[in-house]
Amino acid sequence: MEPQIGHPSADSGTPQISSSERRDRTLKRSLSRLKPYAPFFALIALSLLIGAMNPRFFEFNNLIRIANSAAIPLVLALGMTFVIVLGSIDLSVEGVLAIGAVLISLLVRNNSNSLDLGWFGVVLAILACGAIGCLNGVIHVGLRIPSFMVTLGMWFIGVGVATLVLGGSTVRVLDPGIRSLALDRPLGLFPIAVWVALGALGITWVIERQTRIGRYIYAIGGGEDLAALSGIPVNRVKIIVFMIAGTLYGLGGLLAAAQLGLGNALIGSGRLFSTVTAVVVGGTALTGGEGGVLNTLIGVLIMAVLGNGMVLLGISPDVQQGVQGVLIIVAVALSLDRARLKIVK
Amino acid sequence: MLSVEHVSKAFAGVQALDDVNVEIGVNEVVGLVGENGAGKSTLMRILAGVYSPDRGSLKLDGAPVFLRSPRDANLNGIGIVFQEQSLLVNLTVGENIYLGQEAEFTRLGLVDRRRLNAAARRQLDKVEVDIDPRTRTSDLSFAARQMVELAKALALEERTERHLVILLDEPTSVLEQRDIDILFARVRALKRRASFVFVSHRLDEILELSDRIYVMKDGRVVGHMETGSTSVPQLHQMMVGRDRHAEYYRESKQQSPKEEIVMEARGLTVKGAYQAVDFTLHKGEVLGIAGVVGSGREELTRTLFGFVPQTGGTLKIDGHAVRLTAPSQAADQGVGYIPRERRTEGLVLSLPIAVNMTLSSLPVGRIMGAISLNRERQLAKRWVDKLRIRTPTVEALCLNLSGGNQQKVVLAKWMNARAHILIFDHPTRGLDVGAKEEVYELIRDLSAEGVAIVLTADTLEETIGLCHSILVMRDGQVTARFDASPGRKPSQVDLIRHMV
Amino acid sequence: MPMHRRTFIRRTAAFAGATAVMSIVPRKAFAAGTPTVVNSIRSLSNPYHATWNQGGQAFAKSIGAEYVTLVTEGDSEKGIADIRAILAKTGGNMVLNVDPNDSPDARPIVEACLKAGAYVTTQWNKPADLHPWDFNPNYVAHIAFDGVHYGEDTANALIKAMGGSGGIVGLGGILSNTPAIERKTGLENALKANPNVKLLDFQVANWKPTEAFNIVSAWLTRFGGDIKGIWAANDDMAVGTLEALRAEKLAGKVPVTGIDGIKTAIEAVRAGEFAATVSWDPYWQGSMGLSIAYAAKMGKIDPAKEPKEHREFYGTGVLVTKENADEFYKTHIESEPKIDFNDYWGRVTGQIRQS
Repeated sequence: MEPQIGHPSADSGTPQISSSERRDRTLKRSLSRLKPYAPFFALIALSLLIGAMNPRFFEFNNLIRIANSAAIPLVLALGMTFVIVLGSIDLSVEGVLAIGAVLISLLVRNNSNSLDLGWFGVVLAILACGAIGCLNGVIHVGLRIPSFMVTLGMWFIGVGVATLVLGGSTVRVLDPGIRSLALDRPLGLFPIAVWVALGALGITWVIERQTRIGRYIYAIGGGEDLAALSGIPVNRVKIIVFMIAGTLYGLGGLLAAAQLGLGNALIGSGRLFSTVTAVVVGGTALTGGEGGVLNTLIGVLIMAVLGNGMVLLGISPDVQQGVQGVLIIVAVALSLDRARLKIVK
Repeated sequence: MLSVEHVSKAFAGVQALDDVNVEIGVNEVVGLVGENGAGKSTLMRILAGVYSPDRGSLKLDGAPVFLRSPRDANLNGIGIVFQEQSLLVNLTVGENIYLGQEAEFTRLGLVDRRRLNAAARRQLDKVEVDIDPRTRTSDLSFAARQMVELAKALALEERTERHLVILLDEPTSVLEQRDIDILFARVRALKRRASFVFVSHRLDEILELSDRIYVMKDGRVVGHMETGSTSVPQLHQMMVGRDRHAEYYRESKQQSPKEEIVMEARGLTVKGAYQAVDFTLHKGEVLGIAGVVGSGREELTRTLFGFVPQTGGTLKIDGHAVRLTAPSQAADQGVGYIPRERRTEGLVLSLPIAVNMTLSSLPVGRIMGAISLNRERQLAKRWVDKLRIRTPTVEALCLNLSGGNQQKVVLAKWMNARAHILIFDHPTRGLDVGAKEEVYELIRDLSAEGVAIVLTADTLEETIGLCHSILVMRDGQVTARFDASPGRKPSQVDLIRHMV
Repeated sequence: MPMHRRTFIRRTAAFAGATAVMSIVPRKAFAAGTPTVVNSIRSLSNPYHATWNQGGQAFAKSIGAEYVTLVTEGDSEKGIADIRAILAKTGGNMVLNVDPNDSPDARPIVEACLKAGAYVTTQWNKPADLHPWDFNPNYVAHIAFDGVHYGEDTANALIKAMGGSGGIVGLGGILSNTPAIERKTGLENALKANPNVKLLDFQVANWKPTEAFNIVSAWLTRFGGDIKGIWAANDDMAVGTLEALRAEKLAGKVPVTGIDGIKTAIEAVRAGEFAATVSWDPYWQGSMGLSIAYAAKMGKIDPAKEPKEHREFYGTGVLVTKENADEFYKTHIESEPKIDFNDYWGRVTGQIRQS
């Protein structure tokens, strides 16, 4: 009945310790202070390792290719990050992305109908995805259904609607403006899609660090009861977070449609797993309250570098899947504060 | 200045507050005492805006106020420092102080962190503590966090014209003495800026800090006096309706233990915690272990129940050597554990009483492998009667019980499992006087029935009163042994000398 | 307030349930007369199965029968359960054309049909020791396509487009899928026959375009201009490949091949960006699978009397290259293909190899 506000953990104190134990302790403390930077060091180490074995890794063109393959995953993972910091999960990535890509491919110049709404169509599609995200949030807080279930349902609804709308077929995107996102490289550098992803990163970074809502996301993730008691509008924040996620998935849909030049219901297939992995590998805890968009950037880069590196080194396809599995376990093991977790489910 | 008038509040049929009247004046400390269930916490939460009264009203300077949320309370100058830490450990100190109140530092949707941290600094200065607002809260000690909470409450000063009222809900239960002294010093210094309402189970603390005291019992105010004019026994009497005396610990009932040895330790060691501990435990004996935090007594008790196996030495139960690596092994040997954190370690709160009672002894109450629910319920009813557990039914969920009754359920669980050695880890922590007495009574009864008990008590008084023999530990070693039979009880000073 | 929320959910669930029930029970009760024709496929979200479904609809219309589509969504349990349900509903008065989600599924499906008295054709996946001739007359036929043959065909088309020599890279499907294994074998056969062509690397893109995109990008770093052609085990991956090339301004300069014959692939062949693809003609698969089983049910053919070559056979795929792409587009993409539903064995190219 009464709100249960946290538990003081037993402060068992320290009996007299020897000097060698004290040295161990300071070593442990400095190690624990470095722990949040572990993913970053992992990225550097991985890059150096791959580059040492195949120096073409560091070629300018290759770095561009890596950035290119990281653009869409980054945008998706940014949306997912806020949801995970909140302490929830969003399984609807693939469904919302599909809706976004399909809407865009139907609204801009395409080979299936005579619409040619250009960027206006893009904006409409992304807004629609934001609305779906908003719906996720509203159902979650309004009907008090766990985010896992709501977004799981929305995933299937999204793919289902996309299938229905296209009758299972694929629509080619013919609008040169959209395609230029993937094909044009201003100043001979990154394709526009990468700049878009970086822009998304910048905006989400500002939200996370500089705005009230960013703060509230961490407060709710750290202790929802406490946050509520402090007067934070928990429900409103949750809905906004899911809406941001939906919008970013829609943006991902735009980039995917631009990259492949088409839209269909399965365009997002397999992305849920890689998105959550990227967020977790970057150091954002699934339990909430920790991590952030910069962590996610590192996580996405690690995955992109790994994918690129395994091909550069000619690693057998059989082994590659195993490598990804090991990566996830290692990343989660490093990021969990196991001392604080007494019960492991 | 702030008055509570004829306030009543009920929860699910239980009357928590009944026509309560309390006055809080300017610049004073008002102490609030009473057993658990007396209504103190409910009253505090009404003042803090967490609950609304069913009847009656709150008045500020004569005008009625309606507190619909903690935010409303804050706007009226009322802040609360909770019993259990209410800071978000994943945020910084500055963020915690201004959690929910960032609006004043926000322009165009962006929060100016520098201004926020500077303002947080100013609040921390009020409590005279030197903490960088950018520190992550998880890096702070409990005492430091308590100070931050106080600073957070004081931050209200700037947001309201009203006089500040800070509610301190059992702030001392997780603090060491040294930190308690610091807290009290701060409160006294801050009296000129705020009034305080101070709730504590420790009557001596109440007397030390308060200017006036209200005594509550069963949801009513049964006493109200100036601190100078009262004493601990008088408060005790008003709270429970009887005097505390030597019979508190039922010393007259203390019987001599039997000859039979049930547990023996020789050179018991856990690296880094304690070493070379020897003791012998007899049937029916109550063995107390005294020591400050860090003496190793906590770890010793946990070894006896299999949480932390010994790294050296021998432990014998009923004559054969054991090395307990898991609590289940200890349970198999007939050892039971009544934990300190009963909410997290003793009971499954979301399960009913009857289920919890048979948790460690499921074969009992089983017909052909299936759990006989009927038998379980009968067993539970018997224990409820025997231990006088206050509950409407045995199907009631444990989380709805008061602390003392929960403790009794834990006890019943082990007695059901026919444990013949019980380890009590701070058994009366957080219990009101009446519940404490019942626990003492039970310990006596168990001891008389031949159950051997290892007791880590909250206070030296408890240790001396309840035990047959006492081990004193310091820095991981046994520094003294005392025989504490009735008539030959050591004094607190005797013990303290070997503890520090 | 909990009460309202619970009531709301309950009412919504009831409504949804009622709608679902109503949609399952058709308006026309399943007539005791004309058998129902049923297609069971993985999903309708891809063009291949969508076309398969169209074929089935056309066939059903041609004989005036009730048509049902079952979708497994990649879930074997669901696939089998749905089939059992419809067998019960129709009392066995139906024919089934099924693309099982996974090989082991074929056995319980066939056994259920046998028990209910329905007639069934399976396609693509079945266990090697499950044969139609052991389940006369209900298990009419199993149709597959020779992955080795067509993997080799597209590889040869690729090599031809490359000018007969150079380095190529290959993208395979999910390692454990039979088509992936067969098609890769086809590629290897073609390489053996063309010693001037070297396989620089083979990677697995799991049938997905984006994975193909990323792998091809990395390949361009590793091999650069050494890549003279890219072989993909299916069209989706080939499309991803093509876009990766396009991003590097190499589309049309490095030939690509796929398999499946989806619309995008045919268009790419016409545009000179793909060297080849293979169409299974899913329209034919979706309609003839039903037609053959239907013929058996109506007694027009007696499966027990048909040779093994008609019971377990490879169908005909169409290799689409620059030469026939325009024609193929006109007849198969722009219009619904004209199929003679009575020509049961017209596309048999041979009996399936016994492994």
